Amino acid sequence: MGPKETGDLEPTVKVAGLRVGFAGREVLHDLNAEFYRGRVAVILGRSGSGKTTFLRALNRINDCFPGSATRGSIKLKLQGEWRDIDGDAVPLTELRRRVGLVFQTPHLLPGSIADNLALPVKLVLGLPRRDIPAKVAWALKEAHLWEEVQDRLDAPAHTLSGGQQQRLCLARLLALEPEILLVDEPTASLDFRSSQKVEELLLSLKDRYTIIAVSHSLSQARRLADAALIFRDGSVVQRLSREDLQAPDTLQTLLEEIF
Amino acid sequence: MIKGITFLAQAFSWLAVVVTLGAIFLFLGFLGVRGLDTLNLALFFGQTSPWEAITAQLPVWHGIWPACVGTVVLVLLSSLLAIPLGLASGIYLAQYAGGSWKKWFSLAVELLAAIPSIVMGLFGFALILFLRKTLAPQANTCLLLSAACLALLVLPYLILMTQTTLEALPGELRLVGLSLGFTPWQNLVQVLLPLAGRGILSGVILAVGRAAEDTAVILLTGVVANAGLPAGILDKYEALPFHIFYLAAEARSEAELSQGFGAALILLILTGALFLGAYYLQSTLSKAWDQKKLVI
Repeated sequence: MGPKETGDLEPTVKVAGLRVGFAGREVLHDLNAEFYRGRVAVILGRSGSGKTTFLRALNRINDCFPGSATRGSIKLKLQGEWRDIDGDAVPLTELRRRVGLVFQTPHLLPGSIADNLALPVKLVLGLPRRDIPAKVAWALKEAHLWEEVQDRLDAPAHTLSGGQQQRLCLARLLALEPEILLVDEPTASLDFRSSQKVEELLLSLKDRYTIIAVSHSLSQARRLADAALIFRDGSVVQRLSREDLQAPDTLQTLLEEIF
Repeated sequence: MIKGITFLAQAFSWLAVVVTLGAIFLFLGFLGVRGLDTLNLALFFGQTSPWEAITAQLPVWHGIWPACVGTVVLVLLSSLLAIPLGLASGIYLAQYAGGSWKKWFSLAVELLAAIPSIVMGLFGFALILFLRKTLAPQANTCLLLSAACLALLVLPYLILMTQTTLEALPGELRLVGLSLGFTPWQNLVQVLLPLAGRGILSGVILAVGRAAEDTAVILLTGVVANAGLPAGILDKYEALPFHIFYLAAEARSEAELSQGFGAALILLILTGALFLGAYYLQSTLSKAWDQKKLVI
C-alpha cells in the first residue's frame, strides 16, 4: 500500500523486517507492511504461506508455542500512541485485548452465551458486576447478534449455529474494546448465508477498527478488501489496491500465478 | 475372501461381548446367591444394637460395620492426599513442563504406575521399620500410612488422566483465553480445566475405586482383623477388602464364609454407589458448566 492508495490516512500498524521462525525453521522472511484504520486489509495466499503466523505475530500469540522466535519491529498505534510490542513495553494481556483475534473455527468458552462475553469482560476489563449486562448487550448488538439471542442469553453457547458462534466470538472481542481486529479466515467453516452475515459485520466495523483479515477466497477479498497482500512462502509477493482487485484481468492473473 | 474375514471379525466381536457380559452376570449372580441371604442388620452390627454401634457407644463383634467405616475413612484420606497432588502434577506436565525434564517426569510416572501394589505395601512397611530405627521409635503401621501408600498407588491414574485430557484439547482452544488477554492462570482455571473436567473426573473415579478395593497395600501397612472403629489416623483399623480376604482364608464356619460373601456384596455396592455418585456429579457438573452463572 503506497500513498496513492491510502490518501492522507495515517497508519495504525507498522511492520518492518519481521521474521518469525519455529524450532529454527523460518516461516516469515523480512516482511514489511502498514495497515490503516478504516480500511480492511486482506491477506491472500496458499495454505502454509505464513498468513496465520503473520496475524499471530501481531498480538504475540506465536510466543505461546515453544521454540518460536520473532525478530524485526512491530509498532502499533494504541490509544493514540505508538507502542513497540516487543519486550515489556506493552503487557501481553493488554496487547491481546487491544489486538483481538478471531480464529478460523469459532472457539467458545465454557458456559452460556452471556458467559462467553461476561467472563472476559470481568477478568480482563475488571468491569464491576452491575455494568456487565449492559456491556454484554452492547457487544451483541455491535456483532448483529442481539436480535437472535436476546431471549436465550443463558442458553449454552454451543446451541448457536456456526455462523452465530463466529459472530459471538467477534462480539466477545468487541466487548473488550479493541483497536485492531485480526480475523483468520472467519468464514472458512460457514455456509454462504452465514458467511455473508460475517462479511457484512466486518464491513460495518471497518470505520472504527483496523481490520486485517486472512482469506482463502479471492471473491471474498474483492468484496471486503480495500487493500490486499499476497503471501507466498512467507514473503509478500504482491500488494493490490481495491481498484486492482476489481479489475477483471487481475482475477485471472492471480488465479494462475498465486493459487 | 473379504466377506469371510468380515464375517469372522463380526462373529468374534459378538462372541467377545457375550463372553464379557456372561462373565459379569455369572459373577454378580454367584455373589448374589451366596451373599444376598446374609444382607441384614446382623451382618453389619452383629449382636450390638445399630444405634449404639453407629454412635460408637459399644464395640461391634462379628459385624462388618467397623470395616465399612475403615474403608470409607481410608478412601477419603487417600483421596485427600492423592487428588490435589495428582491434579497439580498432571497440570504441570500438560501445561508447563517441557523438553527432557518432561520426558523424565513422565517416565517416572509410568514407572510408578507399573509398581505392583504388594511392592507398595512393602515400601510402607519398610518405611515404618526405617522410622522406628531412626527418627520415630514409636512409629507403627496405621491408617495414615495405608492412606499414604494407597495415594502413591493411585497417583499415576490421576496424573495421566489429567495430563492426557488437557493435552487432548484442540490447539486453538488452548489459545482462546490467552488471545482474549487472560493470564495463563486465568486461562487454565476458567477455560481449560472446565473443558477438561469430564476426563479429570474419570481419573478421580478410577483412582478412588482402585483405592477402595486394594488389599495388598493395606495388608502390610496397618489393617487388622479386629480393631473396631478406627480410633484415629495413627491407629490400626479394619477394611472391607481385608475382611473379605481374612474370612476367605480363615473362616471357621459356614456362617463366617457367608459373611465374607455378604461383605463382598457390600464392597461391590459401595464402589458401585461411588461410581454412580461420580457419574451423577459428572452430568450435573457438565450441565452447570454449560449454563453456569459465573458472572451475571
